[in-house]
This record gives sequence, C-alpha cells and structure tokens, in this order.
Amino acid sequence: MSAFLDIIASLLFGGALFGIVLTANDIATETQTVYSGDMLVQQMLTTTAQLVEGEFRNIGFGVPEREKTIMMADSSAVSFLCDVDRNGTIDTVKYSIGPTSELAATDNDLDRFLKRGINAEPVMNVGAVTVFRLRYFTRSGEFLSAPISADRLQEVYMVEVTMEVQSPTAPARDPAMVREGERDRLFSTSLWQQTRLASQNTRR
Amino acid sequence: MVGRANIIMVLGFAIVLAYVTMNLNRYSTSAVGNMSSYYEATAAHSLALAGANAGLAKIYQDTTWDGSMSETLDDPVMPGSFSTELIDLGGFRKMLRSVSSYSSSAAGVLHDTIDVYFNTRRKNSYTLYAWLTNNTGNVFWSDGDTVWGRAHSNGNVHISGSPVFMDKVTTSKRFDPPFVGKGTNQAIFKNGYETGIASVELPSDLSELVAASTSGGRRYTDDIDVTLLPGTLVNNDGIALVQDLSTGAIDTISLSGGSFNGVIVGNGKVSVAGVLDGSLSIASLQSVSVKNDITYERNPRYGTSDDLLGLIAETDIVIADNAANRSNCEVQGCLFARTGSLKAENLSSLPVCGTLNTFGSIIQNTEQEVGLYTAKGSGKPTLTNGFAKDFRYDLRLADNNVRPPYFPGYYVKAYAISNWWESYRISSYD
Repeated sequence: MSAFLDIIASLLFGGALFGIVLTANDIATETQTVYSGDMLVQQMLTTTAQLVEGEFRNIGFGVPEREKTIMMADSSAVSFLCDVDRNGTIDTVKYSIGPTSELAATDNDLDRFLKRGINAEPVMNVGAVTVFRLRYFTRSGEFLSAPISADRLQEVYMVEVTMEVQSPTAPARDPAMVREGERDRLFSTSLWQQTRLASQNTRR
Repeated sequence: MVGRANIIMVLGFAIVLAYVTMNLNRYSTSAVGNMSSYYEATAAHSLALAGANAGLAKIYQDTTWDGSMSETLDDPVMPGSFSTELIDLGGFRKMLRSVSSYSSSAAGVLHDTIDVYFNTRRKNSYTLYAWLTNNTGNVFWSDGDTVWGRAHSNGNVHISGSPVFMDKVTTSKRFDPPFVGKGTNQAIFKNGYETGIASVELPSDLSELVAASTSGGRRYTDDIDVTLLPGTLVNNDGIALVQDLSTGAIDTISLSGGSFNGVIVGNGKVSVAGVLDGSLSIASLQSVSVKNDITYERNPRYGTSDDLLGLIAETDIVIADNAANRSNCEVQGCLFARTGSLKAENLSSLPVCGTLNTFGSIIQNTEQEVGLYTAKGSGKPTLTNGFAKDFRYDLRLADNNVRPPYFPGYYVKAYAISNWWESYRISSYD
C-alpha cells in the first residue's frame, strides 16, 4: 500500500515538475529569442550608426571652399562629395535605401538594405534598417524640406539622421492576441538618432 | 531508492535551469555590451576631438607654436589620453593631428584620429573692397562723397570735409589731417576705421588671367573692341562680340558655352560697352576704355542677379571722351587698374558730363579725379569738367567666393581651416 502511495505521489510531483519544465522551456526560448534579437539589432545598429555618423562628419573633405558639397538631398537618400580615401581625388558618396523586396526572405516585412555607393563602384550594403530618415537644416536652424532644390543645396549645414533597426526574425505571437493593425511577430527594435550632425568642412 | 531518484531529478532540473538562466544573462549582457561598445567608441572619438580643440586653442593663442602636446585624463569615467601634433606639410599647409587612446572594457585600447588641415595663407579677392588704392595721390574725400563697402588705402587718406564711409575704412599710413573730427577731417565713419595696418599689395602682374585666357578663355594679340549683348530674356545666355581692330574680324563668344571659362584677355588696348548676361572678366595688358554704358541684364540693386563683370587693366581704365559718355556714364562691374588709375579721358578739356555711376568695386594703383571742381562763393565746390562721382559697392562682393572669373586676389597670413577629417569605422553588411 505504501509503495503504491509513493508511486502515485511520485507521478504527481514528477508530472508537476515536468509541466514546470515545459513552461520554463517555452518562456526561456521566447526570452532567449527576444534577447538574441535585441543583441543582434543593437549590433547592427551600432555598426551602421558608427559608419553613417563617421562618414557624414567628413562631408566635403577635400572639396574646394567655393564648391558645393551636397549634390542631392532627399528624405531617405543623400549624395555628397568627399575625398573618402584621402588620395586627392574627390569622390561622390551616396547613401540610399533599397526596396523591402530585397530582404523578402526575412520574417520582417519592413527591413531593407541601407546602401552606400562610391563613384561608379558597385553599391555596398552597409546595414539593414527599417527606418532611415534624413532631415536638413541651414546654418540658422531653418528646416529645409526634402527633396532640396538644387539652388538651396549649398545652404545645408546640419543633418538629422534617424535610423531604426529591427530583428530579421522573431517568434510568432499568439494569433488570438494580435489586434488589428498589429504585427504578428515580436520583432526587437532599436532606434538611433543624431539630431544635429554637422561636418566641420561645411563650416569653412 | 525513490528518494535518491528524486534528488537526482531535482539536481538535474537545477542544472538545466541554471544553464538556461546563464544563457539568458549572457544575451542580456551582450545586448548591453553593444551599447557599451558604441559608448566607448564615441568616448574615444570625443577624446580625439578634445585633443584637436586643445591643439586649435594652442595655435590660435600662439601661431608660432610648432610642436606637440599630450594629456592623460586620470578619470574613471574617461580613462584615456590624447596626443596632438602640428605637422608642416609644406606649400603653406599644415596639419594638426590628434590621436586618442581610450581603454575600453572589451576591445582593449581604442584609438581615434582627427586631422585638421590649415592653409597658412589665404587668397582674398580684391573685390572684398569697394575702394582700394595703392597711392591716393592728392585726391581728397570731401563733402557729398559717400562710400558704400570697405575702403582701404596703402597710402594716406586725404579728407577735406565730411565724407561718409558706410563701412570700415583702413589705411596703411594715416589720415590727412591725422585726427578725425579735428580741422578739415570731419569724416563720418559708420563702421569705424583703423590706421597703420598691413598693406594690401597689388599683384606684380596679371599672369593668372593670362594663363586662364589660354586655357579655356580667349586671348587676342591686337587691340580689340568688346560689345556685350544680353541675348534673349533667358538668364545667362549673353554674348560677347570681340572685334580685332587690326583685321576687323569678329569673334562671337557665347558666355554660357561649356568650354569657355569666362576670361577674355587682349595684349593691346581693349574697349568695352554693352549689356552683360553672365559672368565675365575682360582684361587688357595695356588699358581698358569704357566707350559707353556697361550694365548687367539683371540689375543686382533691384533683384536677384548672377551677372558679374570684371574689367582689368595693366595700366588705366579710362572713361572715353566721346558723345555717348557726355551725358552720364554707368559702369556695373569690378574695376582693376594694376599700375594705373580709373580716370576720365581728356579731363582738363572735358565738358561737364553728368555723373559717373559705378556699381561694383574699384581697385587702382593711383587714385585720380574723374571730375574737376572749382570753389565758388561760400566754397561749395562746383563741377567744371568731367563727372560727378556716384560709386556704389555691389554687396554680393562682400562674399569672398563671389567674384568675376579669375579676378585678381591677394594673400593674407592666416590659419584658415581648409579641411577636417575624422576617422571612423567601416563594416560591410554583405
């Protein structure tokens, strides 16, 4: 009789523990996915941010004073002159974003490549972003609405750069919990903004 | 037996859960570590910037400084140092290099570099001055004279009465009489004055213009006559008709032609008149004669205009004694007489011709009168020969970057920052 009770009790405890382990495993998996997503997203963001920030700080390097440095300025694309490799030849650098279809293989339907092109060389993908937004300001802080007309390009003095990166994959949410307009996956998101980025070369 | 199994099972669960928790913590720490790395990279960059700023402060405090400096920050918040060095690159160029060393928590010592390039001399356009003379001769500024824009003389500035100077006046020597507000020196300076400053030397030749005329411009060996035509109402479609006065041949130059650099140089005398639509410099290795009005198609005094003319003479710029100029003369442009003057032809026999209106800037070696006056009764001067003066400064020229093509310039000692480079990290996503 005693042995029988032991077996019953063991089954109860074992079952309860097994249930706990299963739940813990689910939670751990989800949390791990979120954490790894966060890590990945932040890694992508900081790498891309350092490049954009660094390169925008050098806009106009090597360009004679009388000449304009920004050739095209739109809300998500910019083209400027800079002697990138400091060899005495002025290069044309262009930042733009690609279509979301280029990253259709990911779970995230908003991510797209951030592209960097130098002269006629093949365009390089330097990051995957969900938002890449540029705003331009004059020396006196006046906001210039994009796209900026050719006759006002020389007035651009400061750039505000906003970048958002989301994880390419994420665990699916319970469909019952997804309300209208909400996304069906838990994407990790990181936002970076440089509110007033001014190249010293445009201050001359 | 059952009790031992339970202990093993509990220990097993504990190990599994500990492993899962450890992994979660690792991801969590890594996520924070990313931001921490970004912070440390930014700190290393800021440290290099601090070094550059410290170096700049040192230079602008003492422009003879030519060494290096370093600083170690003994602060747990900013554990690093910077070293800054001024390097002579030759050819009037120097570079200030600042390198930071920052002890990061994960990536060892981070280094960032800021390179600041200087030009130790800067080329300014003479057109920054509304009026510049090397020698003032014996010409006096007097009642009724008004100068708009900066004025400078490498000689004495003679004053007799109350001329008004709207912008700063400088002289390498002094005023005559020397004290403002005393004697006949009742000049009114709206933006101050300064005496005894460094001379603004005129160039030793016009070689830069000559070189430009043979590489993208036009060069003529004989005397020429230039007539400026404004073209249609479209902006920048002006034409210059250049007639060789020896052969009679006419050269038609489209000022907006892509290959034309905007420079016309004649070895002989050059006469000019007409309406300019575009940007042009006309130079003579002898003298330039203004045979009639020279105006811009779009008058910058009353609206936006990118028309800009330079009249450059090796010797004089002469207002021709002819019927067209007997009733006022208007010249819109920047006038430059390297060894001579702006003057009126046959002034002593010239009748009263009205007013010489200029709009631009006037640079000349020796100042000369374009009108003669006699005093009558109360002493108020009366024009007897030539022109009364109405010289206006084209305010567009106050920007050093706005000047006619290849218009002469002068060098000033400076520590002008020409370029600024900041190191950064590149990674590819491909």
